[in-house]
Amino acid sequence: MSAAITVSRRLALISLPTLLLLAAALVTALLAVGLGSVPISPAETLQAIRHGLSGAELSGNDVIVWQLRLPRVALGFLVGAALAVSGGAFQAVFRNPLADPYLMGVASGAGLGATLVIALGLTTLWLPLFALSGALLSVFIALAIAREGGRLPPARLILAGVVVGSILTAFTTYLLLQSEDRIRQVFAFTLGNLAFAGWPQVGRLLPYVLIGGGVLLLLSKALNTLQLGDLTARSLGLPVERLRLLVIIAASLCTAGAVSYAGIIGFVGLVTPHLVRRLWGADYRVLLPVSAVAGGTLLVLSDLLARTLTRPAELPVGVVTTLLGGPFFLYLLRRQKT
Amino acid sequence: MNKVFFLSSALLGAAHATSYPLTLTDDLGRKVTLKAEPMRIVSFLPSDSETLCAIGGCGKLVGVDEYSDFPAQVTKLPKVGNLYQPNIEAVVALRPDIVIVSKYGDLIQPLTNAGITVVAVNPETYEEVFSKTIILGKIINREAQAKALVIQMRRDIAKVEILTKNAVKKPTAYYEIDPTPYTVGPNSFIGVLLTKAGAINIIPASLGDFPKISPELVVKSAPQFIFGMNLAAAKARPGWNTIPAVKLGRVVEDKALDQLLSRPGPRLPQALAGLAKVVHPELFK
Repeated sequence: MSAAITVSRRLALISLPTLLLLAAALVTALLAVGLGSVPISPAETLQAIRHGLSGAELSGNDVIVWQLRLPRVALGFLVGAALAVSGGAFQAVFRNPLADPYLMGVASGAGLGATLVIALGLTTLWLPLFALSGALLSVFIALAIAREGGRLPPARLILAGVVVGSILTAFTTYLLLQSEDRIRQVFAFTLGNLAFAGWPQVGRLLPYVLIGGGVLLLLSKALNTLQLGDLTARSLGLPVERLRLLVIIAASLCTAGAVSYAGIIGFVGLVTPHLVRRLWGADYRVLLPVSAVAGGTLLVLSDLLARTLTRPAELPVGVVTTLLGGPFFLYLLRRQKT
Repeated sequence: MNKVFFLSSALLGAAHATSYPLTLTDDLGRKVTLKAEPMRIVSFLPSDSETLCAIGGCGKLVGVDEYSDFPAQVTKLPKVGNLYQPNIEAVVALRPDIVIVSKYGDLIQPLTNAGITVVAVNPETYEEVFSKTIILGKIINREAQAKALVIQMRRDIAKVEILTKNAVKKPTAYYEIDPTPYTVGPNSFIGVLLTKAGAINIIPASLGDFPKISPELVVKSAPQFIFGMNLAAAKARPGWNTIPAVKLGRVVEDKALDQLLSRPGPRLPQALAGLAKVVHPELFK
């Protein structure tokens, strides 16, 4: 049986959709580095990358390509990948197709952290730390409340997560009403923002995504087994509760890291695993890595559109991910039906 | 709005004293009729509170919103919340003849239901600061004072403009209103002041008055001044350390000036002078 899975998995990974996805990822990355609110020729772009790599003193358009655009693309890809992998993992542990990376109150916790920074008038340099702490705190509160004996029943987890999230959102709303001149800043955070992505942010987010995402990829075989149901999985020797806890923590770490550097970006984490499932099947050993590439590509593409459609003005990237991913998803849903 | 004002003054034929009942169209496009000169006024906009006081109507104010803080005497008045969290009961208890609100917030319905006359007067553009001053003068029967104030303001602004017009070099500037980043276009009220202060706004007018822009644009435009944020925050942004304003330490965070600039009211000339002194210190020695 395991040999058969391995063969089909290899086939799935070298299929036409995979090649198309990789091509799309590459083309999107090239376009995203080449295009932006300031027009820069391809030759100049290449030269800027050479200058950046050589560590030379940067000036003019070099700065824009090397210090603004490249890290923005890199951060966008990391965030998209993190959200898509977490979304896929959440959908697996809850066996619920509506699960998304923000399920355990991650987004509300991060939002409250960010709002605190803004409402207290602290410098925005504190934003990642507060958002991350808020996100993780809400997850741990939800876990503590949902725990029943040694168990973590999915329905209780979802309920606890939703309610903890609502309470934190109420706090956020209260804080916002107290400092209404800052509403727009918090609002922007809740729509996602990659505008100030730099190499340091990429470097700081990378460990979260590598560790959180890495753990999820390592657990993908166990996630497959979990699809058979808790009882069957347990009788096959799977430590269901510990697995569930570990996946939730790893996915939350991934998501919280992404939220703290890019704000709350909707839809990527919910929709990407679905799209991947339709084209590649439901084997999590394929689904998770493919989702990472697809989610990263979707977000980089959305951000490219966000900063070029109205240039040199910008749209909030979360609006674009939803407008781009939503209709496509509905189209697939409709086609599947008929 | 100007048209409405000229029309009504022509009809009434009075140069100074307002004759009541007075009917005017407010900023929500509603026809409002004042039966008599209002003696008890509640203001929900800090800039309107400032204007009312500057034209001799401070004594008529019986309540203000929580952000009204100038001149000092309005801080002693009862507070009635703000546009988005109003304390309607407190307003009603003050028995105002008129409540002045903005076109934002949803105060009209609850106050009207309580039998109170409400009028929306909120200046947004540079020219509206003057036209709305006149309208407030008309409403409270202080039209002559309002006209005098406008003349004085225009005179004080002209004094600064004469200096900055002759400035040899006009530095480029970027004014951030919040770090998302949102900025101001040259036709916005702050944008007009920036130009009058002798600076060149890097934002093209085609983007509108308060656009959300790409940081790439700021790096590319390399402004010589940055307003609305501090140096540390500017330095922390990727690539911004190459911007002349950041290199030369011309990133200006002046909370008092920012607050003046956010009040489209009688302290406009002061705001302009403050801005001009930063942009052209050599002209104010």
